[in-house]
Amino acid sequence: MSNKQNRPLSTQEQDQFGAELDALRVRTTADIGAVDARYIRRVVKAVRYTEVLGRGLLYCWFLPPLWLLGAVLLGISKILDNMELGHNVIHGQYDFMRDPHLNGKTFEWDIVGTSENWRTSHNFKHHTYTNVRGMDADIGYGLLRLFPEQRWRPFYLLQPLYALLLAVYFQWGVAIQELELGKVFTGKKSKEEFKKEFAPLGKKIRRQLLKDYLFFPLLGGPLFLPILCGNLIANGIRNLWTYTIIFCGHFTADAEVFPKASIINESRGHWYLRQLRGSSNLKGGKLLHIMSGNLSHQIEHHFFPDIPARRYAALSVEVREICARYGQHYNVGSLTSQFSQVLWRIFRHAFPSRMAGIPTLSAA
Amino acid sequence: MTTTAPTAFNRLLAPLVSPPIFDFWAAKLSPTLSWQRVLARVVARRTEAEGAVTLELQANRQFSGFAPGQHVNVTAEVNGRSVTRSYSFTGIEAAKGRISLTIKQVTGGKLSTQLCQHTEMGDVLELSAAFGDMALPAAPQPLLLLAAGSGITPMMSFVRALAARGMPSSCTLIYWAKTRQEICFAAELKTLAAEHSNFTLHLALTRQQAAGAYEIAGRASAELLNALAPELQATATYACGPSDFVQSLAGLVGERAYSFAAEAFTPAARPMAATGTVRVTLAASQRVLELPAGQPLLTALEAQGITPPSGCRMGICNTCACGKLSGTSQNLNTGSTSFEPESALRICISAATSDLVLDL
Repeated sequence: MSNKQNRPLSTQEQDQFGAELDALRVRTTADIGAVDARYIRRVVKAVRYTEVLGRGLLYCWFLPPLWLLGAVLLGISKILDNMELGHNVIHGQYDFMRDPHLNGKTFEWDIVGTSENWRTSHNFKHHTYTNVRGMDADIGYGLLRLFPEQRWRPFYLLQPLYALLLAVYFQWGVAIQELELGKVFTGKKSKEEFKKEFAPLGKKIRRQLLKDYLFFPLLGGPLFLPILCGNLIANGIRNLWTYTIIFCGHFTADAEVFPKASIINESRGHWYLRQLRGSSNLKGGKLLHIMSGNLSHQIEHHFFPDIPARRYAALSVEVREICARYGQHYNVGSLTSQFSQVLWRIFRHAFPSRMAGIPTLSAA
Repeated sequence: MTTTAPTAFNRLLAPLVSPPIFDFWAAKLSPTLSWQRVLARVVARRTEAEGAVTLELQANRQFSGFAPGQHVNVTAEVNGRSVTRSYSFTGIEAAKGRISLTIKQVTGGKLSTQLCQHTEMGDVLELSAAFGDMALPAAPQPLLLLAAGSGITPMMSFVRALAARGMPSSCTLIYWAKTRQEICFAAELKTLAAEHSNFTLHLALTRQQAAGAYEIAGRASAELLNALAPELQATATYACGPSDFVQSLAGLVGERAYSFAAEAFTPAARPMAATGTVRVTLAASQRVLELPAGQPLLTALEAQGITPPSGCRMGICNTCACGKLSGTSQNLNTGSTSFEPESALRICISAATSDLVLDL
């Protein structure tokens, strides 16, 4: 299936590759300032206004198209809050502003998962050990077999169904990821430990459920049910969209996974190379970039997770050029093309499959 | 940046409110309305002297007041970044939340330039709670106030507080400045000196001849102080100005005065230590350590048995990020140096290049 051409790089070439990307980082960070601050405040504004408008329109049950528009707007608000605002702020992209409401260490977002768990599972584990088997839990979310390198078990035969459930309940999947429930079932994690880890998440879940499914519906009085349904739809829209974007980022046909041994004493250049080989971009317009939190520029995001995401589009021009010079495939495609590759992986690797060859980043 | 103790109203509603969302909509109603942040609106501005501007501020209800002689951290946005500096209050709280600050523009100073040149009526600044220990004696006592340059600001707060109480004890103010154009509050001080027989004013010029009323010439010296303030042993003495000024006065009067309280400000010195050791203060855990300069702070702390949260150890995951309250640090990945306080310093790729204070 794969059609990429990647030239194995010598250690020296890897170092040069890393140095060029580091230089690009320095040039970009030097320019960060008022425009980025203005941009993220506009995103905050968009989140707040779409939420109020969406929730307001949910009261128009007597005009079903308006009610539906309300649910969609609330969904859009939740998507923006989750991706372009939350995900990016939690990475510390806007810490330069020293705005206490946009601080990566304290920002909390409008999904059931706590930002505290996310900082560990995503910012640290996923971004440091991207697509390293056994270290990056995002590979299949402990539920799916997406790469032939993962050992097949009969359990995976039904994985198209699990994948669908994960998509619909994606925020819950993200929420419980850091709890590692598998370890609780196998007894590797004690009940007490689990209870302690669950406490803050339980609090967040309670707050989210009360807000969307009790507080706002109650405000609607007799419209309790339509408003509850509107919130359900909005959360559903956000779940499906974030799932789609995130799966396109690392599970397309050309994306690679790596063994643990590959990161022993890893150099910065090798780390960059691994980020490139494990990530894939989406081609599209400004709207797609904003609505995906600029994760449509997954490669740039993995190179520079702490640089304001609005800069990835501009960065991608140079990144692409650097990759071309080093003979590295720059994985980019339309949303349809990339997502159908993801679906292919879900269906194909439900059945036993074997590696075509062992990928290598380095020249012998 | 700084929050105050929650009010009963805040406590009651806290479970229902997300502060960022509250602040967003509250700002549409009133620019200084906030759940817990101290915000203040500029309600008047005037040129106080050459290169100095006075801002009158109206703080919101989160501001809990101040005593004369205290200061406050002022935060404003400069090129998308919040910049914070300390300023002394120059007045008394005439009405609830009414604050007066006088800012001298420092060449190359980020916040002073912003406040003196660009801050306009209606702009909103963020404040901390008031802090500082320099205070007037509880009972009336002869006072000697010594100020140099912008060191006048806390002294002015003292003088105004005393004047509001009818000048209950004798008070002498010696105020050094390079030129009379740089003297702040000149008219008000002269009026007070004319109105209150026990308030003595000396405006000491170091680069001009004394010519006008109250003016004298010359720097702080033993002769000058002996002539102007002979009865030191009964006098509570206060000094504020650049550190060398304060140090010389500590030598001249510190031992002889009844009491001596001083505050020094140093124009941002930028010592760069690439080698040797620096003193790193961990504010939250109240520890002070000598750490090697130029080495990643994370590994240096770990070598001392302190293990702050950490993750990737390469500057990408933000797990080790902690507040830097003061000091100079260098980003070892980019080589860039940061002189400003930061809300999130990634200590795995940052080295101390001066003494610094971390929020750990």
